[in-house]
Formats: sequence, C-alpha cells, structure tokens
Amino acid sequence: MKKFLVALSSAAVALAAAAASAEEPKRGGTLTFSYRIIAGHFNPAIASGTPTGIPGTQLFAALLRFDDQWNPKPYLAESWDISDDGLKVTVKLRDNARFHDGKPITSEDVKFSIETYQQHHPFKPMYAPVKSIDTPDPLTAVFNLSNPHPAILLAFSSQLGVVIPKHVYGNTDNIRQHPQNSQDVVGSGPFKLKEFKPGEYIIMERNEDYFLEGKPYIDRIVYKKIAENTSRVIALEKGDVDLTAFESDAPVLDRLKKNEHLTLTPDGYSAIGPLEWLAFNTKRKPFDDKRVRQAIAYAIDKEFILKVLYGGYAQRSLGPIHPGSVFAPKDVNPYDYDVEKAKALLDEAGYKPDSDGIRIRTTLDYIPAGGTWKRKTEFVKAQLKKVGIDVTIKASADFRAWIKTVSNHEFDMTMDSVFNWGDPVIGVHRTYQSTNIRPGVPWHNTQQFQNAEVDAVMEEAGKELDRDKRAALYGEMQKLVVDEAPIAYLHTSPYHTVFNHERIGNAPVDSIWGVCSPWDEVYIR
Amino acid sequence: MTDRPATAPESGPETVRIERPVVEFLRMYVRNWAAVAGFIVFAAIVFAALFAPVILAVDPFEMVRMHFTPPGHDSYVLGTDNLGRDMLTAIVYGARATLVVGGSAAGLTIVIGLTIGSLAGYYRGWVDEVLMRITEFFQVLPPLLLAMVLVALFEPTLPTVAIAIGVVTWTGVARLARAEFMRIRELEFVKAARSIGSRDRRIIWRVILPNALPPLIVNAALTCGIAILFEAALSFLGLSDPNVMSWGKIIGDNRDYLLDAPWTVTIPGVAIFLTVLAVSLIGDGLNDAFNPRLRER
Repeated sequence: MKKFLVALSSAAVALAAAAASAEEPKRGGTLTFSYRIIAGHFNPAIASGTPTGIPGTQLFAALLRFDDQWNPKPYLAESWDISDDGLKVTVKLRDNARFHDGKPITSEDVKFSIETYQQHHPFKPMYAPVKSIDTPDPLTAVFNLSNPHPAILLAFSSQLGVVIPKHVYGNTDNIRQHPQNSQDVVGSGPFKLKEFKPGEYIIMERNEDYFLEGKPYIDRIVYKKIAENTSRVIALEKGDVDLTAFESDAPVLDRLKKNEHLTLTPDGYSAIGPLEWLAFNTKRKPFDDKRVRQAIAYAIDKEFILKVLYGGYAQRSLGPIHPGSVFAPKDVNPYDYDVEKAKALLDEAGYKPDSDGIRIRTTLDYIPAGGTWKRKTEFVKAQLKKVGIDVTIKASADFRAWIKTVSNHEFDMTMDSVFNWGDPVIGVHRTYQSTNIRPGVPWHNTQQFQNAEVDAVMEEAGKELDRDKRAALYGEMQKLVVDEAPIAYLHTSPYHTVFNHERIGNAPVDSIWGVCSPWDEVYIR
Repeated sequence: MTDRPATAPESGPETVRIERPVVEFLRMYVRNWAAVAGFIVFAAIVFAALFAPVILAVDPFEMVRMHFTPPGHDSYVLGTDNLGRDMLTAIVYGARATLVVGGSAAGLTIVIGLTIGSLAGYYRGWVDEVLMRITEFFQVLPPLLLAMVLVALFEPTLPTVAIAIGVVTWTGVARLARAEFMRIRELEFVKAARSIGSRDRRIIWRVILPNALPPLIVNAALTCGIAILFEAALSFLGLSDPNVMSWGKIIGDNRDYLLDAPWTVTIPGVAIFLTVLAVSLIGDGLNDAFNPRLRER
C-alpha cells in the first residue's frame, strides 16, 4: 500500500527521472494547439471546465502534479505531510518560485487561492473540509480540516489547485470580473500570457524565470480555436496544428488514425474520468420501480454502441467510477444484453404488454451535442421497443434547454455525460448523495436517487485516507448503486489526444491530467 | 387529339365544341408528357406514403441486420443504414414525413401569402404599405437561418418544422397575390361587381380570387418542392423530429459515413430529387394548362 505521507526530499530528482527519455529534449520552437472551444478567461480558481484548465495550467502553477499512476509529485510544493488523524495537512513551498511579475510565492498566496476556490469554484465538496489555513512562515501553509479528506492532494493538482497571486487578484471585491483573469494574467506557470484574442486565439510565451531549471523547452504556445471538426482535421493533416485533445467522433478518429505523422492516444483522461450513461428520474413512474430500471439496463446492447456508434474508441463502463480510476468497479452486475431477462423483469413489475404489445410509454432526452448523441438515443429507442417500451425522443433546442429540463427533474430518462474529476469525493458523490438533490443546478443528483445505505458508505469513504480501505468502501457503494440502477451505465467518452509525433516530443499525455497539466516537458523535435 | 373532345355527349355534328373548363384543363395538361410523367411519379410516392404500413409491416426504426449492408444483399434491396435499419423501409416511411411537411408547409405558405397579398393588393394605400413592409422584413431574413432558429427555439417536431418552413417561404406568394389582385381589381367585371353594390369581402373571395388562382396554384406546387428541400436541409443539420423517419434525416444520420456507405446518402438523395422534380413538372404542366394562349396551339 502506498501511504499518502510522502515527503520527497528533492523535487529535481523526481522530475529529472520523469523527463528521462531516449532523446534529449531540445529548446525552442512554437507549438500550435487547437481546440473546439476557447474560454473567456484562464483563472482556474473561479471556474471549472477544460477550456479554462488547458491554458490555465500553463499560466498558473499548482501545489502538486500527478504522474500517470496517480502518485502525487512536487510542483510548487516541495514536500507535504498529512497528520496521523488526517486533520492537518502541512505544505512546504519551494523557495525559488516567483510569479510572472517577479514577486515571490508565499503561503499567503496559497491561503488566498484556496479560499478563492472555496468561495467561487463550482466544485464545493473539493475544499469543503478545509476549516482554516494557517501560515506560520512564508513557505509553510497548514490546512486544518474538519474531517479527513482523501481527495485533498488531488485537489492540489492541475486546474483544481493553482496558486494565484494575492497582490494581484486580492485587490477586488469581485474576482469574477477581474480584468487580469483574461489579460495581463499573472501566474507562476511555465508560460506567460502574451496575447489573447477572445474567441480566436491565445499566444503564450516561455516564462524565463520558471522555477524548474531549464524548463519549459518550447518558446511559445499558440492555442487556436477551430470549432469545426473537418477544419481541425485538415489543419492536423497539413501540419498547421501539432496537438489537439478531447477528439471523440469516430469518423474523425478513423481519418486521423490513417495519417502516419499523427499519434492518437486515449491516455491522459483518467483524472477527468468522463462517463456517458442513461439516467432515470427515479421519482417518476415507472422508474420508481428498480425492476423497470434494471430491465432497461438489460435491454440495451452496449457492445453495439461501443462497436458501431463509437467505432471501438470508447470503453465499457460498469458503474459510477471511471474504469481508469483505482476505484473502478469490480464484480458488479454488468447487465449483459438480455432481452428475455428484461421482459421477465417488466412482467414481474406488473407492466404487461397491451394489445399493441406496449408495456410502457415514456420519453427520452439527450444532450444536443452532435450526431453521435442523437444516433445513440435513436438506437436506445429501437432497443427498448423490442421489450415493449415505446419511447418518444425529446430533442432539446440547445444545451441550455437540456440542462434546464434535466436539472429541474422534468424528464423521464436522459442520456447524460458526467466527469469523475479525479476523486470520487469531487466528481462521484454528487451524483448519488441524497443531500445533493438541488433543482436548477446541473449535474447534481438529477436522478433523485435516495438510498441511506449508499449515503452512509460514501460518507465513510469520503473520510477514509487508506487507499485500500477506501477501495473496499467504493466497491461496496458501487455494488449497491449498480443493483439499484438509478443509471444504466454505458461507456466512457472516447476522448483522444492527437499529436504530430514528428514534431512533438514528450506530448502532454503521460499524467492523469493529460493536457490539463503543465507542458513544461514538451519539446519540438 | 385536339380535334376530338373527350366528352361532348349532346353535341351533334354541327354544334360548336364547348368543353367544360375542367375537361379542357385536363386535356391541356395531358398534352404535356413531362407533366404526366411528373404526375405518375408523384402519385407513386403518395401511394407509397399512404400505404407504407401495408407495403412493409416493419418499424422503420427497427434494426434488422448488420449496419451498412450493401444494397441487394440478402433481401435488403436498398441495404441498411448506420444502425442496421432497412433503407427500403426508411425510404417508404420517409415519404410520409417528407410529403406531410412539404404539403402542409406549402399550404401554410398559400394561406399566409394569399391573405397578406390579397389584402395589400385589393385595399392598397396604407394597408399595402404596412403589409408590404412586413413582407419585406421577412424577405430580407436569410430563410434557412430563420427556419433553423424557429425550429431550434421550439422543439423539432414535424409541425414545428412545417410551420417554420411556411413562415420563411410565404413572401413570394404574397407578392404574387398582391400583383394579381392589383391587376384584376381594375378589370371591367370587378367594376361591374362593385357597381351593383357587392361588399369587399364578396369581391375579394368570389370575384377576384378565382381569377387570381391559376398562378398561385402553380406557385404552390413549386413551393411544395422548395419545402421538401427545406425539410431535407433542416434534417441534414440535425433539426428534425427524431421520432419520425424522413429522407433528410436519413442523409443527416449517415453523412459521416459517406465514403464507407455511399448508398445510405445517395438513395434518399435520389428520392428527394425525384420528388422535387415531379412536383416541378406538375407545376409546369399546370402553368401550361392554365395559360389560355397555349390552348389552341
């Protein structure tokens, strides 16, 4: 078992080891990155989302970083220590770290940053146990917790735990409107903001005073928004773009895969943990009956969705936690495709076929985010018809309309996508806690699932620091949830990072955070 | 065939041939072979749409075989689509949605266009000014974009799509109706009607309208073709009722796989082409049949 009581003496040793590769990284060059969306600002302390996180983690350094095995590594923090009772986390900062404006990074900035997260970031449970932060000296921050918090180290990493300068962002009552969230950003990450044209591009340049010696390697990052799939594909093929991320359309991936200059990889998404599923409104008839929910889970041919709709790029998921997580579900009912079993369960629940062979008439919503969602929805409609469930598909006018419908519980069934965000405390509990039924808020417990046993196990797992004990608790929790089936689990989002391997070395795919982590190891060949 | 009328039972050898207008109209229409062909194709499509469940007692959404079965394989004449649904069934059922949307959108176009155009053309003056400014307002909006906004604003269902298309295509009919009304209201027989004290409503509906109808009917046929294309475009963009199979939807669903399974896109494309062509030919035929100058040729 790996204890969280890690105190690494030398940061440089670890980083040098991580950077070791066959080829010696070169300095210089421009990397062009392209994404569907460009954010309005890059301050990860006040907003979630990858469009903020990708540039945000280049501009702002966080306390920690994680490798691809979920191990915390030093970043701004040189060492850290969790007290035996789990109620005190002490972080030692490195002494050579400076913000882009030359001011040193102190524990006051850490305190200010985490308090900003508590106040303004949408992920409330992430720093909820942090009662207070002491700053005994400029390089030491002590977090006093109300209960042991196993996700705290993960929360210190990537876009969830960046340190923002108090002397810049502390001078306003309304940090959300702070002009330096998007222009003249003062961070401490490997890159500085050079130019931002809203809606079009971001240019970032090397931070010459970066606290990790000799890094970053590249001179400049150009982040270009290309919303249209085909245009982005062509830009990659022509070599105008070196790197893209979150590519998920099977036809796009098929086409890119054929190009010998490009590498496609599903690595780097295990922290984000994107899942796609069919959710039930468990307060509405007939979905208040667990047998109906189970029947529907059985009636859907998951293999067909993976093979045909996602071209083999997505992975099956069996429960609330992403298969890439250390807490991934084991030994849960996989609800393998079984039409007869589905019919038997519906019979048992008292939903017999009428003269037209129909047992239940209901509706199905879906996220209006492109062809694959719609195709999947139509596929499920056809599948459920076979067991006597007549589904009317409801197409939402736009994303906001869908959010409104689902977050206010005005649905029967819906296709949904929810991210795990690294630790179950941050991204999983919210979907099942009976206390987290909050109409109007997207991605809460929209299923209105209430189960005291599940609540209790999650409560315990959320305070347990021992990874193995936690894994056992989440194993139990997932067995309960999968049996109750408030959700029919389908698959992971087939996100892929695509890069031109002839141009780029050390592509940012070798950590759990993928492109949402500092690109200070990346170099141009 | 012009020298023998189709029906003239009482006519003796010396009587002047006077045909009933309907008969004369049909005779004129039949003379145009392209229009007849158009009518036959259209009738076949309508037949397929009406009797779809009888011809093929399958659900068009049912997945019957492996996806992308090529046409002609096994008993699947037109192959299967990206979800393994039978293309033939989809085409036959798709005819329903396509015709319903095309027909009702054209109907709506006529109703709105005729109402606005006839009032503007008959009353002129400020009524004309106001109504024509409204018409121009709709004319300058890009039609496909406006239709997309309307469909996106309300849920994409068959009626919304039909209404959206109707709302963006009526302006042509309005201008045409206005021009006809302006011309006809100055003719002798209208003046005569007015001189005997007929009310406006009677003059508009009973006196002018029947004489203004022929070009409007031709226009309606063409509008029906345009509406079908609009429906296809909206479905292609994903703005269609997901519970109803239509040709545009088949194209939209399969367009990502154009290179792997070209038939999934070309077959509904051909169906749309044939229907719109048929409707246009019918429109042409009607135009000729209504045109008195072509009668004695």
